[in-house]
Amino acid sequence: MSFKWWPIRRTLQLLAIALIASPLFGLNIFHGNLAAGEIFGIGLADPLAFMQATLASHVFVAEFLGAALIITAVYVVSGGRTFCGWVCPMYLLAELGEKLRLRLGTGERTFSLNGTRWALVITAVLAVLTGVPVFEILSPFGIASRAIMFRAWLPLLLVFAILVVEVCVVRRVWCRTLCPVGGFYTLLGSISPIRIGFSKERCTMCGECSRVCPVEEVLVPSLADKKLQIVSGDCTRCGDCIDICPENALGVDIWYK
Amino acid sequence: MSIDPANTVVTRRRFLKDGMLVPLAFAVAGGSVSTLFLRRTDAQGFYLRPPGALEEKRFLAACIKCGKCAQACPYNSIKMLGGEAGIGIGTPHIIAREVPCYLCPDIPCAKTCPSGALDRKLEDVEKIRMGTAVIIDRENCLSLRGLRCEVCYLQCPLIDKAITIEPRHNQRTGVHSIMEPVIHRDKCVGCGICENACVRDKPVIKVIKSPVEQKDYYEF
Repeated sequence: MSFKWWPIRRTLQLLAIALIASPLFGLNIFHGNLAAGEIFGIGLADPLAFMQATLASHVFVAEFLGAALIITAVYVVSGGRTFCGWVCPMYLLAELGEKLRLRLGTGERTFSLNGTRWALVITAVLAVLTGVPVFEILSPFGIASRAIMFRAWLPLLLVFAILVVEVCVVRRVWCRTLCPVGGFYTLLGSISPIRIGFSKERCTMCGECSRVCPVEEVLVPSLADKKLQIVSGDCTRCGDCIDICPENALGVDIWYK
Repeated sequence: MSIDPANTVVTRRRFLKDGMLVPLAFAVAGGSVSTLFLRRTDAQGFYLRPPGALEEKRFLAACIKCGKCAQACPYNSIKMLGGEAGIGIGTPHIIAREVPCYLCPDIPCAKTCPSGALDRKLEDVEKIRMGTAVIIDRENCLSLRGLRCEVCYLQCPLIDKAITIEPRHNQRTGVHSIMEPVIHRDKCVGCGICENACVRDKPVIKVIKSPVEQKDYYEF
């Protein structure tokens, strides 16, 4: 078989989990979690965590802003919702849930992708109104990392509940519609020159790509309009469409077209 | 399944329904469920926060629950709170009776805090104010009963500053002294070592929330 993206992506997703677990094995490489961490002494922070904590507490820490800017810059360069597709443990769980859902044949419904941006607004408003970074309590990747780091298993029930809803009722509802972190990266996601490119000469309109795409409302119109690239920031850059395409009509572009 | 452009047209009805009503419904549902859990942590009592912590309300606002302080603590003193803490779930605290704060000179927990919930500029351990130790049960305190216990005093990292021994006449026996441990709240950092060291089954000395200073006519 030819080159596939998914083994690399799966490795990265598992590496993120391994890094969060690494202090348990006495390794001194990474500390913290995906809300805020430190790799080889370099501070990294989720820009949404920075936004909430600063809005809620009125405490400004320049290093925190710097850490959030590093992460923002990385994902602006890689484009789309790369964080979601390549790093977030919740996305990995949702992908496994999706496999189960396809086997069961349940929950074909989907909700609009616009929800993530609303969630971003609601998250910011809640942080101001309640004076608490509310999303950090509910964040599935925060809950998952605290389960790994401190064996705090009980909050995983929320992650489990999301998975049950996703498998049984609404397909990929957390990542597609509810997650404010996704909403944040969506806003910046269309800037990057790294995009999924599309060769209309090769496309046979078989629709395989739209079957595996987690955000097919972004993929399908681009293909139907014979656009050369998937521009939308909602694209997770997961590369599943490239891997599945029997005609090799899709690929990764590294510059605008 | 072939691609049909007709299915991708966004009508006004669909835009309003999917783009606004559905997220709004989720927000209302999510909000109402979460309010059940959104209680202030101090409603449940006092939590001993790591060194350099902001005042409780602002601490909760700034803490993003990353757990780095707990990972930085060499004694595993810092634990993460569970669901009993309401909105404080996943925030760090110290259970002095299990493992107190041993006041590392470099204060690694505060240094590692990314969000400013713990003051990263804190340099001097004597400036830490996590709480204040108080003898909450004078009747059960062995020293106050006239015995030579004084374990809290001897274990105090700020011995003779935060806790001193004040001898006075033992009126009960008439011939002995009571060596009373007295806590000075302007010096006590609230590390909880005294609470941890107390020899009684239930500690008679405990770290509580530092009392607010009240000015009065007797200031001089």
